[in-house]
Amino acid sequence: MEQEPRIGVYVCHCGVNIAAAVDVEHVARAAAELPGVVVARDNTYMCSDPGQALIKQDIREHGLNRVVVASCSPRMHERTFRAAAQQEGVNPYQVEMANIREQCSWVHRDKSRATEKAGLLIASAVAKAARLEPLEQREVDVTPGVVIIGGGIAGMTVALDVADTGLPAYLVEREESLGGRVAELNRTFPSLQPVSDLLQPLIARVQDHPNVTVFLTSCVSQVDGYIGNFEVEISGYGETGTPAGGDPASKSGTPRAGLSVGSIIVATGYDVFDPQRTPELGYRDYPNVITSLEMEERLIQGDLTVDGRRPERVAFVKCVGSRDARLGNPHCSRVCCMYTAKQARLVREMLPEAEVTVFYIDVRAFSKGGEEFYDETRSQGVRYRRANVSEIYRKRSAPGVDAGLAPRAGAAPVLLVAEDTLLGQPIEFEADLVVLAVGMEPRKNAGVIQKLLKLPRSADGFFLEAHPKLRPVDTAMDGIFLAGCCQGPKDIPDTVAQAKAAASSALIPLIRGSVPVESASAVVNGELCAGCAMCADVCPYDAAALDDLWGTSRINPVLCKGCGACAVTCPSSAIHLQHFTAEQVLAQVDALVE
Amino acid sequence: MSDPACEAKPACEAKPACEAKPAYEAKPASPEPRFEPKIVAFLCNWCTYTGADLAGTSRIQYPPNVRIIRLMCSGSVDPTYVLKPLLDGADGVLIGGCHPGDCHYQSGNYKARRRTIALKEILRGAGIDETRVWLRWISASEGQRFADTVTEMTEFLREKGPNPMRTEWAV
Amino acid sequence: MKTQKLTEQLELFGCIQCGKCTGGCPVARKTTLNIRTLIYHMLVDPSMDVDAHQELWDCTACFTCVERCPKDVEPAELIISLRGELVEGGRVPETLGTALMGIFRQGNPSGMARQDRELWAAGMEESLERAKGLATRARDASSAQEECELLYFVGCIPSYDPRIQPVARALLRTFEGAGLHPGTLGTRESCCGSEVRRMGEAGLFGMLVEENGELLRSVGARQLVTTSPHCFNTFRKEYGLDGMEVLHYTQLVARLIDEGKLTFPEPSEARQEEHRTVTYHDPCFLGKQNQIYDEPRAILEAIPGLKLVEMDRRRERSLCCEGGGGRMWVEGTNLQERLAFQRVQEAAETGADTLAVACPFCLLTLEDAVKVQGLDEQLRVMDIMELVDACGAMPHVER
Repeated sequence: MEQEPRIGVYVCHCGVNIAAAVDVEHVARAAAELPGVVVARDNTYMCSDPGQALIKQDIREHGLNRVVVASCSPRMHERTFRAAAQQEGVNPYQVEMANIREQCSWVHRDKSRATEKAGLLIASAVAKAARLEPLEQREVDVTPGVVIIGGGIAGMTVALDVADTGLPAYLVEREESLGGRVAELNRTFPSLQPVSDLLQPLIARVQDHPNVTVFLTSCVSQVDGYIGNFEVEISGYGETGTPAGGDPASKSGTPRAGLSVGSIIVATGYDVFDPQRTPELGYRDYPNVITSLEMEERLIQGDLTVDGRRPERVAFVKCVGSRDARLGNPHCSRVCCMYTAKQARLVREMLPEAEVTVFYIDVRAFSKGGEEFYDETRSQGVRYRRANVSEIYRKRSAPGVDAGLAPRAGAAPVLLVAEDTLLGQPIEFEADLVVLAVGMEPRKNAGVIQKLLKLPRSADGFFLEAHPKLRPVDTAMDGIFLAGCCQGPKDIPDTVAQAKAAASSALIPLIRGSVPVESASAVVNGELCAGCAMCADVCPYDAAALDDLWGTSRINPVLCKGCGACAVTCPSSAIHLQHFTAEQVLAQVDALVE
Repeated sequence: MSDPACEAKPACEAKPACEAKPAYEAKPASPEPRFEPKIVAFLCNWCTYTGADLAGTSRIQYPPNVRIIRLMCSGSVDPTYVLKPLLDGADGVLIGGCHPGDCHYQSGNYKARRRTIALKEILRGAGIDETRVWLRWISASEGQRFADTVTEMTEFLREKGPNPMRTEWAV
Repeated sequence: MKTQKLTEQLELFGCIQCGKCTGGCPVARKTTLNIRTLIYHMLVDPSMDVDAHQELWDCTACFTCVERCPKDVEPAELIISLRGELVEGGRVPETLGTALMGIFRQGNPSGMARQDRELWAAGMEESLERAKGLATRARDASSAQEECELLYFVGCIPSYDPRIQPVARALLRTFEGAGLHPGTLGTRESCCGSEVRRMGEAGLFGMLVEENGELLRSVGARQLVTTSPHCFNTFRKEYGLDGMEVLHYTQLVARLIDEGKLTFPEPSEARQEEHRTVTYHDPCFLGKQNQIYDEPRAILEAIPGLKLVEMDRRRERSLCCEGGGGRMWVEGTNLQERLAFQRVQEAAETGADTLAVACPFCLLTLEDAVKVQGLDEQLRVMDIMELVDACGAMPHVER
């Protein structure tokens, strides 16, 4: 039965996110004049409880049967508003959204033109809403189990949380052992606890857990399906016959396992910046210029000597490969300030007579106990100088360097050239050992995972979360979650916290047992169908077939995924795709073109 | 004061960023109102629509001339969806889908490609400028590419001038 | 001067005052020039007394600060703009004014007569006849507007300076030997304006870009090759010569060697040049500013018998010779400590007997420093082109 459309329009300010570029009151007033609109309002945050209450109240008071929300992308809050409408008896499929934030206010600065565009987008949504039909929500069962890509501290944490609920966790690690980057570290900050104390028990638990299956020297080579029902193929990684350093995608070898799971977690970690990309710092030219990770190794070995001599002057250079636009790494790596303080302190302990100097731009000691640790580091005699080291070189005539052509001794000191910005003076600082505090970068082969899982990445190259504040472990792909440094630089506590968040998010559909699926399917009008079966030819899911009795097409709504290919193909226009009917789309066109 | 750096710059290419800047920002406002083409975009839900969202979350600016209609798949773009806006006076139609091989529905984008080629033949036959219809593959992670495409298309259509259908229909 | 407009134009707000610019600045260590504090004043002071900053003339426009800035600020562009402020008010060091006037009147900073611009090819030694012949052919090519694949832009210093003229002759001989027939602009060639812009004379630079650009395009050459990295840099980045491949000669010569069009005879006892130990000094405008580090070395390594040794400060860490940014015509403050002095000492310490360069300015400043430092017995400064020529580069004989 046709309902007379009674539409409520709600325009969201999103704080200033929309209101700064769009005259929200103006478009709300204009929307009130559109056909079928009973009430139009604007509100600071439509997704907030008061915002939703507004919709519910209007549905009751004005007898609304359609709701249009002009706010963020439907990918963000369509579910929220559908649920709100449903609570008051409006079919969730009679809620339409106008995307005036991601596709309008955030991308246009000209307020008058952004306002005009927002008005058109709302008119288009209203035109569609007036023609929306009620649909039934459908759900499919999920396959229990989670695939976790990456066996570092994040991946292992997720695996244990999943496994402890009794569900299977599949941990895929490309290296020969678990542990990831953390296994390369000596001690943690600020507690100075040996890393092996926390890592070894964790690895042992993962390996012994009956619900965790570990795939070493393996990678994910193929992913099909959607939230609730993913099919994941695991293959060997870096097998013979594939050249090292080649395309990482080509490194996947023979398939090892095919897994059916409900969720996927990406915990692929980070790469360490290679300071050969800052040639002015002389890394690899001088054996006494090393990276912080090499310093960790030396601290593990307990050997800080350079060519058998104990260094007298040790310098740390911060922000190497971080906060640097020319290197494509505008981000702060967030851990260097603290690990440098930690290393400086350990050097002071091992070499009490040595002078330890840290060259910094800013000190960011924001983690819990961080500032206190930094205070303690300075009080133990580590000197901090505000200078961004511009160049490192070695004077031939410097002490310990043989003049002429004789090979130079490795222990010869180098000169750090910089401006001490607090003195306002250029300086040349001599050091026996220099530690470059290298930052974190996205994995060089992040593109492989990006393609495989269709995950967006942010401008810094790390994987992009669905919302920076509200959905920090979700991705644009339902059922795929992020944990650890693949999403951005993090220290160990933050990584573990995010891993546990990702685990619980990934478990939601698995514990619920089912996920809502696209309810809109294609429908055949038997009166118009000529039985040509072209729809059956184009359907990728074998959902369309001719009815034996009538010779006309029928579409199996369980198999249909709603792509709409058959509707376009049908020469008799006998098929329409629910929720995206030609009538609805053309009405949108009318509203947009005027 | 005079501004040597700036005077020197128009002739130079020292700053490629300068060149890459969308012309709609760089050009000073002219007294004559510029022609602002209307573009209707049909974007697939899984790739290009999400890519357009990413352009938003990344705050990448592009001209507001594009008006987006969300569809589930580029393969569901009916020829009438393209024809109607052009006949109604829109200056361009953009169809955005997933890259070949990446279609959420396996092969919808291939269908869109074949259909668009055929449609362009028909448009040409009917005397409608087929270069006003663009089909582009833009993935969910290509926010910049979406913004660039809209900028490029707006410039292209601005150069080309209004869709003659606007006036003919009016008569 | 009001600071706000320029601060906005140059996008100085991105600066985080880290000091990487001043830290790497080769002249900051010997004069009062501190580009970071200049930027800071631009950011926080409403006005600046530019006249009080005579150290602005110390900058060599080596662009180390621009190359290293982590925030994509271009500190050297501020210096150029502030110089522009001084130029605008006519407050220019006298010697610089003379150079600018020379360029304006005669198309070269020495103010030498325009009609003498081809004298470099009318050489004085045994190659006189041949060089003259070449130049005539080259001139004919451009004046007749006939197809000219390769255009050779000689440059002011190679055209007029007797020390550099042989470099240009060597270049032309080598190209001819490899079967290339470059044209030149003859006496119509004018200063490229690279240093004019860097001295702050934006108006004159704009004029040169317009006039030279028109002339260069009218020749219709596919490739443009220069003697100087300074001409190369400005043509490549500041002229918008679309469709024309702008090359420094080291790129073209390395390419000829690579393609087998240029070969060297086996070393002979008679030719001393072939038994040299050479160290190479990266010019700022070729290395840091254009990342051309490998081609000059490839040329040197292709010469049989010649041994290449490296200085510690090489490639991205090469030390500026102090010849750029107009410094050929203005002394700047602190005459005692010249970077070139330090540089030739570094070269001598490698044990090399030859310091190879690929830039006319570097050749002049470093050779001067070798003499002043009393190193002439030990170290000889030569352009790569002179070495190529002296080592008997010969055409590959086609069978």
